Amino acid sequence: MKGLREFGVGDAFELRRSADRYRPVYYAAVSGDFNPIHIDREVARLAGFPDAILHGMCTLGWLADACTAYFGDPGRMKRLRARFSRPVLVGDTVTFRGRCVAVEGGVVRVEVEAVNQRGEEVLRGASAEASFEE
Amino acid sequence: MAIDPRHVGRRYGPFRTTVCAERIRDFATAVAGGVPGHFGTSTGEPHPYFVDEEAAARSRYGSLVAPPTFGVTFAMHPFALACADPEIGLDLVHLLHAEQEFEYGSVVRPGDVLTTTGEVVEVRSKGPLDFMTVRSETRNQAGELVLSGRWSAVVRNPSPSPS
Repeated sequence: MKGLREFGVGDAFELRRSADRYRPVYYAAVSGDFNPIHIDREVARLAGFPDAILHGMCTLGWLADACTAYFGDPGRMKRLRARFSRPVLVGDTVTFRGRCVAVEGGVVRVEVEAVNQRGEEVLRGASAEASFEE
Repeated sequence: MAIDPRHVGRRYGPFRTTVCAERIRDFATAVAGGVPGHFGTSTGEPHPYFVDEEAAARSRYGSLVAPPTFGVTFAMHPFALACADPEIGLDLVHLLHAEQEFEYGSVVRPGDVLTTTGEVVEVRSKGPLDFMTVRSETRNQAGELVLSGRWSAVVRNPSPSPS
């Protein structure tokens, strides 16, 4: 596992994940969130979307995976946050581009941009912190 | 329609959940692009600490740990109940998850018995948008804080109310 000295401001990382047709169905099964807007296209249309939308929490799970891959150890995560600025639709691919913005007092902080295949931001203010103090 | 501020302070829970290794594995598999129940089908690689008992046994935790967003399975109940609470009366068709914050304490492991409570902590309006925020707190069987969550929903009112 990585130690504190292996992190530096300016480090960059990237992760790409896709919302295939079944992703919201699988995510509903593993999360227990069966809100029909995620699994029924007709309900999503009533809400004004062209197709089912992915759970924001799944997008947040992708963000956490991107950060965890950089931190190396998921148990070090101390904070995670994001605003869901645009829904992820079935068929969308999201690219997460993160960078380390601070290494202070044993804490590594990253900020992450998340955009869909059209270059539109799906998250705002996405950030995470991990603590490497014993 | 603005959310009545008298709902701030409304509490939900406690809710009890026992954490299960298989659910952690299925969760990590599905988030990484695979099919739940079919480990190894992910297009991405779930972190070994979520799915590989042997690798996890050699870690500083000595066992599998739950992914950072696994809290959706044990800490979302207060938020979900508040969103669907007939007393609060949110329009569920036009409701979306707006924002999420987690703060982590002790790691969550298979076998942990977690207790979650939650409370509506804020309601506000911004133009046609109504927001509600629920705070959750989850402790394990030793009483240690494992997760604090701030869960915010937005209701997009389709047309202005005539009143």
